[in-house]
Amino acid sequence: MSGRARVKARGIARSPSATEVRRIQASPLPRSVDLSNNEASSSNGFLGTSRISTNDKYGISSGDAGSTFMERGVKNKQDFMDLSICTREKLAHVRNCKTGSSGIPVKLVTNLFNLDFPQDWQLYQYHVTYIPDLASRRLRIALLYSHSELSNKAKAFDGAILFLSQKLEEKVTELSSETRRGETVKMTITLKRELPSSSPVCIQVFNIIFRKILKKLSMYQIGRNFYNPSEPMEIPQHKLSLWPGFAISVSYFERKLLFSADVSYKVLRNETVLEFMTALCQRTGLSCFTQTCEKQLIGLIVLTRYNNRTYSIDDIDWSVKPTHTFQKRDGTEITYVDYYKQQYDITVSDLNQPMLVSLLKKKRNDNSEAQLAHLIPELCFLTGLTDQATSDFQLMKAVAEKTRLSPSGRQQRLARLVDNIQRNTNARFELETWGLHFGSQISLTGRIVPSEKILMQDHICRPVSAADWSKDIRTCKILNAQSLNTWLILCSDRTEYVAESFLNCLRRVAGSMGFNVDYPKIIKVQENPAAFIRAIQQYVDPDVQLVMCILPSNQKTYYDSIKKYLSSDCPVPSQCVLARTLNKQGMMMSIATKIAMQMTCKLGGELWAVEIPLKSLMVVGIDVCKDALSKDVMVVGCVASVNPRITRWFSRCILQRTMTDVADCLKVFMTGALNKWYKYNHDLPARIIVYRAGVGDGQLKTLIEYEVPQLLSSVAESSSNTSSRLSVIVVRKKCMPRFFTEMNRTVQNPPLGTVVDSEATRNEWYDFYLISQVACRGTVSPTYYNVIYDDNGLKPDHMQRLTFKLCHLYYNWPGIVSVPAPCQYAHKLTFLVAQSIHKEPSLELANHLFYL
Amino acid sequence: MPNRKPSRNAYYFFVQEKIPELRRRGLPVARVADAIPYCSADWAKPVFTPLRRPGMLVPKQNVSPPDMSTLSLKGDQALLGGIFYFLNIFSHGELPPHCEQRFLPCEIGCVKYSLQEGIMADFHSFINPGEIPRGFRFHCQAASDSSHKIPISNFERGHNQATVLQNLYRFIHPNPGNWPPIYCKSDDRTRVNWCLKHMAKASEIRQDLQLLTVEDLVVGIYQQKFLKEPSKTWIRSLLDVAMWDYSSNTRCKWHEENDILFCALAVCKKIAYCISNSLATLFGIQLTEAHVPLQDYEASNSVTPKMVVLDAGRYQKLRVGSSGFSHFNSSNEEQRSNTPIGDYPSRAKISGQNSSVRGRGITRLLESISNSSSNIHKFSNCDTSLSPYMSQKDGYKSFSSLS
Repeated sequence: MSGRARVKARGIARSPSATEVRRIQASPLPRSVDLSNNEASSSNGFLGTSRISTNDKYGISSGDAGSTFMERGVKNKQDFMDLSICTREKLAHVRNCKTGSSGIPVKLVTNLFNLDFPQDWQLYQYHVTYIPDLASRRLRIALLYSHSELSNKAKAFDGAILFLSQKLEEKVTELSSETRRGETVKMTITLKRELPSSSPVCIQVFNIIFRKILKKLSMYQIGRNFYNPSEPMEIPQHKLSLWPGFAISVSYFERKLLFSADVSYKVLRNETVLEFMTALCQRTGLSCFTQTCEKQLIGLIVLTRYNNRTYSIDDIDWSVKPTHTFQKRDGTEITYVDYYKQQYDITVSDLNQPMLVSLLKKKRNDNSEAQLAHLIPELCFLTGLTDQATSDFQLMKAVAEKTRLSPSGRQQRLARLVDNIQRNTNARFELETWGLHFGSQISLTGRIVPSEKILMQDHICRPVSAADWSKDIRTCKILNAQSLNTWLILCSDRTEYVAESFLNCLRRVAGSMGFNVDYPKIIKVQENPAAFIRAIQQYVDPDVQLVMCILPSNQKTYYDSIKKYLSSDCPVPSQCVLARTLNKQGMMMSIATKIAMQMTCKLGGELWAVEIPLKSLMVVGIDVCKDALSKDVMVVGCVASVNPRITRWFSRCILQRTMTDVADCLKVFMTGALNKWYKYNHDLPARIIVYRAGVGDGQLKTLIEYEVPQLLSSVAESSSNTSSRLSVIVVRKKCMPRFFTEMNRTVQNPPLGTVVDSEATRNEWYDFYLISQVACRGTVSPTYYNVIYDDNGLKPDHMQRLTFKLCHLYYNWPGIVSVPAPCQYAHKLTFLVAQSIHKEPSLELANHLFYL
Repeated sequence: MPNRKPSRNAYYFFVQEKIPELRRRGLPVARVADAIPYCSADWAKPVFTPLRRPGMLVPKQNVSPPDMSTLSLKGDQALLGGIFYFLNIFSHGELPPHCEQRFLPCEIGCVKYSLQEGIMADFHSFINPGEIPRGFRFHCQAASDSSHKIPISNFERGHNQATVLQNLYRFIHPNPGNWPPIYCKSDDRTRVNWCLKHMAKASEIRQDLQLLTVEDLVVGIYQQKFLKEPSKTWIRSLLDVAMWDYSSNTRCKWHEENDILFCALAVCKKIAYCISNSLATLFGIQLTEAHVPLQDYEASNSVTPKMVVLDAGRYQKLRVGSSGFSHFNSSNEEQRSNTPIGDYPSRAKISGQNSSVRGRGITRLLESISNSSSNIHKFSNCDTSLSPYMSQKDGYKSFSSLS
């Protein structure tokens, strides 16, 4: 324990949590607002758990009988909840072996590291009570840590629960201490549980240990990740600096505990809010300064360097100055200037600056008064990139150059982190006291599944690279296209010329791909959304197959209003094109080809197929997303294939008013999809495979207990005798592991179709990683698949290959995509509805991919 | 092995659904075949309820009003003349429950409406929201930016809350002591109610307005007319259409000028349009400009004077008279050949405000509705959305079959 923390803990007067907190009303909250700063980090992972420990229900139990600790515990540690769910043991066909065998083996290096500890390693969980009861967590920690019995032991304590790696002599230990005020406090430490290293609780503790270690390497936690402010990378031309850092975690993989680390960056602006304000003032003048200032600053995130914490600017208080006083938690008044001097030894130079106001996030979900922090602009650095900055191509390029690490660059950084952990004496000491040893980097064997052939109408094409086969299919005819006879083009006066040349081009490329496009009716309208909508209302009749709008600008209202009207009020497929896109010289052919393909799909055409050996297989993609306008509305998009070739789709989007990301409308969708299948195939599908994307940490249980039964019941009800067999696979694009191939003593991205189903997977799940995208620059990230329900009993080999095949079927891109096509379609659909339409699109469009 | 089953029709599923109920009644039904005799009578019923296909009602009423005679004309008359007020108040977002001030009223819109007369009067005002609670500026700003975009401070159009409320009361102008019911959408009710109470507190005028939901009003009208209750989904789709979003004379001046869709007045007017369009027509009322923004359809070219229709068929070497677009502009064929303008000698048509030929306007549509419905689909676009389970082709077919 550091001396500094002890000083602070002696009395609550100097509690760092009072730093910039000024309560509007003196609320009787006993807890400080931000719980962790330095030493308290040991308990960072336990925020909110301290309450539960007063419950003495558990005797000492070895093992983690029921992870009650977890369930009641931390909200932001939800990923640990998933760990207690074992799906694999219910799936008989993969119980013994879930690895495939086909494909060419490939040696892969990972970003995972061994973490070794003795065989009999155990964690001891104690419960600590104080008499008299102390409210301050800091005081509790300080009193306990000052005891010699504990001072040289490895420990983690959150104010109530104490974890030790070595057992205390007695089951119940009584200690007493004296506070600075002279009160004697009696502490009782009672052994509650002995936990083996495999327990989820232990994994939580391991994570806490590593957070401590990274802090010892002088890295700072911002959000969930750790950054190193001492080695910033500067982009001077854009006044940006990047802090390099890592996202780390410790968890149980297939056979052992592994430490994983991934490189992360924090983008900071080299400008304090005060500097920003001064510059703004000079530009705009005083008259409308406050307004512009509020407009530009409010909503941004700032970082205060004195404690490396981030705050959002919710308001600016022009009436408060740094020379004003605020009330600290103990009731004494102090000016902001004095406070920063005392606390951080920072001198505030501008005494006339206004104060930024930040609404602090509540740690608990009670209805207590919101708490405000006042921040001094001079000490706040702007972070992140504004919309204006993200649309600046040069700036984004400069940032990408720094942040997009090649596999070898990433590997070097990882090696340096490991080196630092092993060399830093403090870090090594921390590890050693816990009995841990940091081991070697894991390498494993993956398999490259064979590449796929693309089936066109009268041609089977073997693309040179699965990443992009647009050149390979240029001369081939697409599978099936409705001819486009009656359609409209809406354009403005200015864009009429470009519309005409585009039309010629479109007709030419469409013809060569086997898509007949007749002459449209061209309607010239004024350049405003209302004119577009009126023209559509006036000229769209039931014979119109498609409406193309050439938008004069990328103003969102054009797109939104057109899409809204044409997908729900008057369901006709629509195609919006920016005039700017059509003006790109020399790109016309490729743009026209892409648009022709989209239009074909919107009319219900099929572009290409891959060989699907399973007959009568329906694949379904489900994704969820929050509505952009009303945050309490969830948009659930479901897309199901309706032919055995998997080229035609039934898409439906359902809006539900719930706060959770769990779909409760799957039954109605599945029933509809099965009816559609029956209509086209006069039979029900023998197999159904559902790919579910958009699953957050800790939702696995809900998925298994709530969504899977919905799917099952609709499948069971659809037929009286033999019902279709169902599999449900959770798809995650974000996952910790990264894989590199070693080649000529350097590392590279693994080739497309690389499957990993050992070591980096989890023992209790039927899961695998698949690389189905290409990263031209930077490191490719694998997609993670977790089969949570499987009646089909497909061999892992087949499941993996099927998934890979499905990644080829996204018609908006002539190449492989990172997730199976149904997922990508569902994502596209939910995105359109959440961003633009905000209501359920008409079912009349459900048979077309109208949202491409 | 594929499992072969005979194809099943809707009746099969209908009977299948009925089986549990029949069993409850003690009837010996083991299979669908057993149950068929018991279900035939029920089968006839749902098919012909107007509710199943509400979209078809509009032309039906005009062509052959079957229900008209069965209803008492007197009740209809009372309903048609009845005056409703639609009210909406916008806020700068909603503050969390622990705050004393939950909403910051910033815009009010109110419309006086009757089925017979359409919109009789409207009231609109911006409201000064007052001081924004410290720390919530971002929250309010973000909420405003994502919807009505009314500036949260220094907006000189905002009126004092007490004045606005007084003006609203003056607008509603009740018979002595007898305040009419006020309606708003059920989603907005909490907000409107809270804002009214809040403004009343500020102004010391106490007058409890009775705030009801539009959804219930629609149910009421429908019930009175057809003695049946419409489904909630039908009502929601009736009230939630985007087709009037850009209609002229719908939004307030400020929102129109800044081209922002979210306007409190527009919300109220659109409720009136929707009710006119789908309910007033059921009573056989001829829609006027007060019911729906007809002017946009009647003389659309005067609203967007630069809208030019070009037939891209001009590129075609051989242009056959029976091109796919002939029905689009058959009425303009003559006009077009008489006005050779600029680059488009014989195909372009630019009609100015002085053009005697009106567009394919809604009035003409309504006029012609009784004898011909060749282009009925135009206005019925929004009606088809009322029956979402009808496929496009079927839907249109049913329209033409009715004419």
